[in-house]
Amino acid sequence: MSQQPSLATPTSEWVKIATVDVLKAPRPVAPVTFQGQKLVLFRDEEGELGLIGRYCPHRGADLCFGRHENNGIRCPFHGWHFDRSGQCTEQPAEPEDSTMYKAIKLPSFTVVEHRGDILAWAGEGTPPALAD
Amino acid sequence: MITQKLNDQITRIGPNAPAGAVHRHYWQPAALTDELQGDDPMLPVNLLGERLVLVRDASGALVLKTRQASADEAPTHHPAREDIRLVEGGATYPVVEKNGICFAYMGPGEPPAFPNFDCFRAPDSHVFAFKGLWECNWLQALEIGIDPGHASFLHRFLQDEDPEDSYGKQFRDKAANLDMPMTQVLREYPRPDIEVDETPFGLKITALRHMENDLTHVRVTNQIFPSAICIPMSREMIITQWHVPVDDENCYWYTMFTSFDKPVNKELMREQRLKEHRLPDYAPLKNKTNDYHFDPEEQKSLTYTGMGLDINVHDQWAVESMGNIQDRTREHLGRGDAAIVRYRLLLRKAIKAVETGKLDRLPMQDRQQTPQIVGPLSNDAIADSDDWLAASVNADMERRRAAPWDATV
Repeated sequence: MSQQPSLATPTSEWVKIATVDVLKAPRPVAPVTFQGQKLVLFRDEEGELGLIGRYCPHRGADLCFGRHENNGIRCPFHGWHFDRSGQCTEQPAEPEDSTMYKAIKLPSFTVVEHRGDILAWAGEGTPPALAD
Repeated sequence: MITQKLNDQITRIGPNAPAGAVHRHYWQPAALTDELQGDDPMLPVNLLGERLVLVRDASGALVLKTRQASADEAPTHHPAREDIRLVEGGATYPVVEKNGICFAYMGPGEPPAFPNFDCFRAPDSHVFAFKGLWECNWLQALEIGIDPGHASFLHRFLQDEDPEDSYGKQFRDKAANLDMPMTQVLREYPRPDIEVDETPFGLKITALRHMENDLTHVRVTNQIFPSAICIPMSREMIITQWHVPVDDENCYWYTMFTSFDKPVNKELMREQRLKEHRLPDYAPLKNKTNDYHFDPEEQKSLTYTGMGLDINVHDQWAVESMGNIQDRTREHLGRGDAAIVRYRLLLRKAIKAVETGKLDRLPMQDRQQTPQIVGPLSNDAIADSDDWLAASVNADMERRRAAPWDATV
């Protein structure tokens, strides 16, 4: 894990992005940079990890200050809510009949807990197996 | 989503930038009267990308003159009096003081007339002015002010304060004639219908919150071209607020709080705000370097942001968190952003008008008509749903009739 990834190809290996300690606080939300992208890492109410784009796709507010609720992250600006896959699930300021949220999805990465670390993977398809 | 080219065009404000050229056709707040010391002031002013100083000329009139500055000066650099050097033969801009704010005209030709807005018409005793720094481009600062939906979220209070303790604060009054705090109306009705109408000064923005029992809460706010808003604060006061570019990546808000009733308690309002800012640059004490004093416990139980009760801090966080200049190539505007979309069209029309020399197409440039512009109507009302427009106007008229100064429209 310590070797430098080649700059020419996107990382197809698991990359350590944090230790599990960063999510030990009562509000398990932390900023992370991975693959040159600013992201927000969080643990949802099902105990699963999410690693999704940091800036709300609406007007760009910082989701690292988001409300940790309803099994995801909610932007404090207009209440847009995102689940761990980055999918927008609610836009509570838009009209009741709006379905715009269905077409809104933040970038997201596969992320796992492994031996006290949090690892992310940016490849396509099935991630490589983790050594025990 | 817009292109990077368009985003640059509508945000950047240097002398040769398209939006900067539009700003230069309007009076710009340059300083507070509070900042002027003694008969011979020498106040650094950083405005529209220029490094200036506010002084009195030989006739005693306030003017802005260009001062020497190094290229790496901080955006809000405030040199000591003895370190200020004027640029020989540099620009000199006229300044007019109005109810606590020194306005400067940095454009070509004759300055335009001032509209007869309430903040300019009310006597000095009924207007209080203050300012504060936001570290971001002026346009995102303006856009939060023409976005009536955000108040239901960003400024949500999970508990309501007693409106009797609300003097000088936004959204803490009772809503119009209903015995319900504004904070509760905003929280319980988060999906306003938004109507936007073009006016001689900019835009009238009406947010309708349809409530129980066929009642509608009507909140009328305004965009005053190019960078100001006029919004209600309480039944007694309205806010007129400019978002003035310091440079491309910093701006000051300048606010005139105007009372339709009692003289403004300026000492109290100044003290409330000085506690939250440092001098001489009026930078807020809660800012991105200290995470705006974000408290996750508070976010859970008391406020939507976890950043305290001052709604100015919520707005500051929202606009600064987008980055120095919001990347609008990645935005997704919804129906709630109707006024923002309309405003950008106005700005693009104005950019075109300046580029083609058709200055009569810019709002409020006619020297005869502009002084006739009064108001604007800016208030909260609750009405029967089929009668909301008349009720909104009547509530404003009632307040104007009772005002101790001439507020007729």
